Order: sequence, then C-alpha cells, then structure tokens
Amino acid sequence: MARIKNYELRIMEKYKKIILGIESSCDETSAAVVRVKCQMSNVKCFEILSNIVLSQIDIHKKYGGVVPEVAARSHIKNILPVIQGALDEACVSQKDIDAIAVTNGPGLITSLMVGAETAKTLAYLWQKPIVAVNHLKAHIYAAWLQEAKSYKLKAISFPVLALVVSGGHTELVFMKNEKSFKKIGQTLDDAAGEVFDKVAKILDLGYPGGPIISKYAESGNPQAFAFPRPIMDSKDFNFSFSGLKTSVLYKVQEIKRQEQKKFQVSSFKFQENIAASFQQSVVDVLVYKTIKATQQYKVKTLIMGGGVAANKLLRQTMKSEAEKNGVPCIIPEIRLCTDNAAPIAVAGYFGKPIPWQKIDVDPGLDISEN
Amino acid sequence: MSSIITHSAQETIELGKRLASKLRGGEVICLYGNLGAGKTTLIKGIAQGLGVKKIVTSPTFILINVYKVKRQMSNVKCLIHIDCYRIDSARDIENIGAAEYFGNPNSVVVIEWPERIKDILPKKRMEIHIAMKGEGKREISINF
Repeated sequence: MARIKNYELRIMEKYKKIILGIESSCDETSAAVVRVKCQMSNVKCFEILSNIVLSQIDIHKKYGGVVPEVAARSHIKNILPVIQGALDEACVSQKDIDAIAVTNGPGLITSLMVGAETAKTLAYLWQKPIVAVNHLKAHIYAAWLQEAKSYKLKAISFPVLALVVSGGHTELVFMKNEKSFKKIGQTLDDAAGEVFDKVAKILDLGYPGGPIISKYAESGNPQAFAFPRPIMDSKDFNFSFSGLKTSVLYKVQEIKRQEQKKFQVSSFKFQENIAASFQQSVVDVLVYKTIKATQQYKVKTLIMGGGVAANKLLRQTMKSEAEKNGVPCIIPEIRLCTDNAAPIAVAGYFGKPIPWQKIDVDPGLDISEN
Repeated sequence: MSSIITHSAQETIELGKRLASKLRGGEVICLYGNLGAGKTTLIKGIAQGLGVKKIVTSPTFILINVYKVKRQMSNVKCLIHIDCYRIDSARDIENIGAAEYFGNPNSVVVIEWPERIKDILPKKRMEIHIAMKGEGKREISINF
C-alpha cells in the first residue's frame, strides 16, 4: 500500500499543474491561479495561489440590477489588470501556467465574450492549452477547493448530488463520477436568487436582494406570514418560485391598503417579517427536495454551490438536515460560492483542452452540455 | 381588441396555447404587466402551443432565451423570449443581438417589460396587457 502511495506521489509531482482561471459571466470580473496539489485516482485537491474578484455591484446598485452594456464595458476595462494581479499575487509568470480555463456559459453574452476573447488571446500568445468551462459545473467543483483548505487528503465519495442555486439557476444534479452531470430537477419558472431580488424590489429594499433579505430576516419572525411552499410535495425534483413571489406581492399590497385605510405609517417590523417568512419558505423547499433526492438516488455526498448557497439560513439548515440523514454535506466557503475564478480553474483541470479557434460562448449553456 | 378573463395559471396557459395556434412566424408580441401578473405563465402556454419541448423559465438573468420549435407544417422555427426587466436602455437589447429577431419570418418574439425598449419596438406588433384582478384572476387584453 505504502509503495503505491509513493508511486502516486511521484506521478503527482510529474504532472503538477498550474491553471489560470478566468470568469466574467455576469457582473464579477475574476481571475485565479490554482495549483493541483494532489491527483491520485480517488483524491484530488487544489490550492488557491490567488483569486482576485472585482465586483461591479456598486456600479449596478443604482440601476437596481446588472446593466449588460455597463457590465461589458467594465469587464473590458478590468480584465487585464485582474489577470495581472492574479499572476502577481500567485508569484507566477506566464511560463509557469500549464493551462487556461475560461467560462463560456451560461451568462450574459456581452460579459461572457470579454472573458472568452481575452483567454483565447492569451492562449494564442502564450501557446497554452485552453479549456472552456461550464459556469454551473464550476459552482459544484468549488467543493474540491474546500478539501484543499482543510489540508486533509480526503476523497469525495461518489455518487454525488449537487444543488446549484444562484441568480440564474436552481438545479439538482446527479454525478456518478467527477465528470458526469445529469440534471434531475430544475426550477420551472424563476431561479431562487431571482425571487430574492424581486421580493427585495417589492419591499423597496434595493439590490442585490439576497444579502438584504437575509439581513432584514434576522430580526423578523419567519412564522409571521404563511407563504406557500410551491410544489414541495410533487413527485419530481423540480422547483417553482414564481407563485411564491406573487403571494408575497399580494400580502404586501394588502398590508399597504390596510395602512392607507387606517392612516398608519407602517406596521411593526412589516418588512422584516415578510423577509423572514419568505426566506424560510425558499429554504424549506430547497432543503426538503434536495434531501429527498439524496435518499432516492442513494448518494454518498451532497454538494451545494452558487450565489444563493451564501445564504446563512440555507447553509445551516442544509448542513443539519444532511447530517440527520447521514449524508456528508460540502458547502464551499461563501467567497467560493459567489462568482469567482478559482472553481473555473478546477473545472479546467477536469475538462478537455480544445483549440482556441473552437472556443465559443453560449449564454444558454445547459449543465449536461460541454 | 379583445379582452379575456382567466381564473387560474392553468387557464392562462390554455389561452397561450390557443394564441400560439394563430401564430404564423414573424410576430413580435409585447407583454405588459406587473411582477407576478403571469407573463411567464402565458409564454409557457405559447411555447407549449408552438411545440417547444424544453421547460420555459424566466430569462431575467440572461435577458434572452431561444427555444427551438420542432412542429412541422409551420414556418416558426424558434421562439425568442426576451425579458427587459433588468435593463435600462434599448441599446442593451440591441447589443445582445436580440433585435435581429424582430420580424424574422421564422421566429416568434415575445417581450416582457417592453415599455423599457419602446424606441426599438417594430411598428407592427401585437400588444398584450395582463392585469391582476384579485388572487388567481387575470384580465388579459389582446391588441392586434
């Protein structure tokens, strides 16, 4: 056994890889340098040498959402300094880079193109292999970075069930191995992150909705309003959040009408209570269906990724419910859940290099493609 | 102009299907209505009526979804679902290439929040207003 280990360690040294990841699918410009620390057959782990994320949130706040043209212009301006910054911070130069990984979808087309064209130019100029990365898969691969951080060489046991939950997506994915992705459920209308944004707008709380709603929810009562748990009892693993958004809207309109009648300024903690009850409803549905899927598919590990996985209540509830059911649950730390380039580099390790001429962006890329 | 009352999401989907049977390709349909009015629901019906197999989800995040239409005996090859909820100016929609689908004889374009891009909307278009009339009940006015 020990001999095998030594042998594997030697191989590991030989193929030590340093990957530059580039991400620009929405409103974050990000570049990261990731080193493959260990690549035994059953254990893979990665070390983040640098991970620079430049968020445009402040720019987009005043518009109440991402403005595509502003986002693209901002990406163009920032992408080279961000890449240079990532190389500098990692103390590597272009000769040390073994491969370039770049997001080619899904996302905003104008934003995606900035990252993809930059990566293609660098691949051509530096003569490096380039890998096109599906952004949704990268949200799942963030879990491998988690393992690296604890410095314990522990394998992720397959099969894996992954919940990818973000502003644009809510999907349950079954993985029988590191490279296979099968979508078993998805939202039928709005993504979870999108309803957070829209409910924040209904409550006049501003943008982005996720962090604001959870902040208000902290001092609200999650049982104040009985919002629906849409299609929680359906037999499939799909989600629906549009009806929940409409219920919140009806409730807010009703409260405002009553206030007008009674000439009151505002009900006690009305925004906080709506936020808390709404958040509870989203978390209940997400956790219930995910746990049900882990049982039905008899998975050995649960992974949750994507921007909404930064939500505290969702993290706590998912962890504790998974524990109760005896399924190890990996949720990457918050900075790796929101959009960033480190998981893009990891996905680049698992992906196949293709000639740069063949790299094309696809705003509607599905998780089972590419 | 005709005005129809639906009493549930399912009825709205049925209306969308009936509407789809009248589409010949090249139509631009503008959908007006507040958050939660049921715009995406109506589009789900139109998509089902056209024979789109994929699940129609909200394109708020990526602004545009393109669905392939597999139905034979029709010119319509794709359904273009555009959502202007997040955008500020018509230029954004032009930049992502969405306006190129307007009037294309092989596509049906449906636009949510069209009031935000009124400068670039084609003159020949269908306008649908959805108004909420209490829980579940919707008044849908169609203007050819």
